[in-house]
Amino acid sequence: MEIKLEKINDITLVVLNGELNMNNIYRVRETLKKILKEKKSKVLIDFDKVPFVDSSGIALLLEIVASFGKANHHICFCHVNKKILSVFEITKVHKLFNIFDSHEAALRSF
Amino acid sequence: MTEKVMIDENIPSQLHFVPGFMARVIETLGVLELDEDTVFDLKLCLDEAIVNAIRHGNKENSELCVHVLVKQDKQDLILEVTDKGHGFDFSRIPDPTTEENIGKLHGRGVYLIQNAMDSVKFLNGGRTIRMVKSFKMKRGL
Repeated sequence: MEIKLEKINDITLVVLNGELNMNNIYRVRETLKKILKEKKSKVLIDFDKVPFVDSSGIALLLEIVASFGKANHHICFCHVNKKILSVFEITKVHKLFNIFDSHEAALRSF
Repeated sequence: MTEKVMIDENIPSQLHFVPGFMARVIETLGVLELDEDTVFDLKLCLDEAIVNAIRHGNKENSELCVHVLVKQDKQDLILEVTDKGHGFDFSRIPDPTTEENIGKLHGRGVYLIQNAMDSVKFLNGGRTIRMVKSFKMKRGL
């Protein structure tokens, strides 16, 4: 899993590249924890290069969303592929996530 | 007898063995030229079943193995994952999609498997999960 951080105005863009599964969730967790600690309150995670998410990945995303919500920070996702989106929908966790089709739509939500 | 064994392996009950094993399974299944959605479902379900077997069945005891059997029967793929634990009653798994459970961090693996597979059975007192996925062949094999 490669993780790239970019800035778009006051928004932190987190670009993930690789599968979000049990074996690499810790790296994403550490990155997001650091962002939260630095009080960066607007975060967009780009899933364009994430081909696969398992239940460990879903658990991580729930944990992150809950941590950001608790701190009154805003986090959303974009470019989630249709198969991963269907996994979110089957498990209904999509109700807890802010998911957008594009960067632009996500950025407008902040 | 039309079943063809594609994978028949024992994996030590350590989670770090799973990615390499899964990569080998996907490579082996490559001969079937499955579509992307089917590969995603097979990968998701086998991964979830093996992780459950290692974590909950064998309690990550590295002296115990998880047995994985993948067979092709015409246009069905049959995946069986067996652990050496005490088994479990699958009918008591809570529904992870209810309002009180949606936000919980765990308990989605079996639910995902039941949704992605065409048939799921628990055998051997819950120590074996048998999953069947039908697929379309791009060409005759």
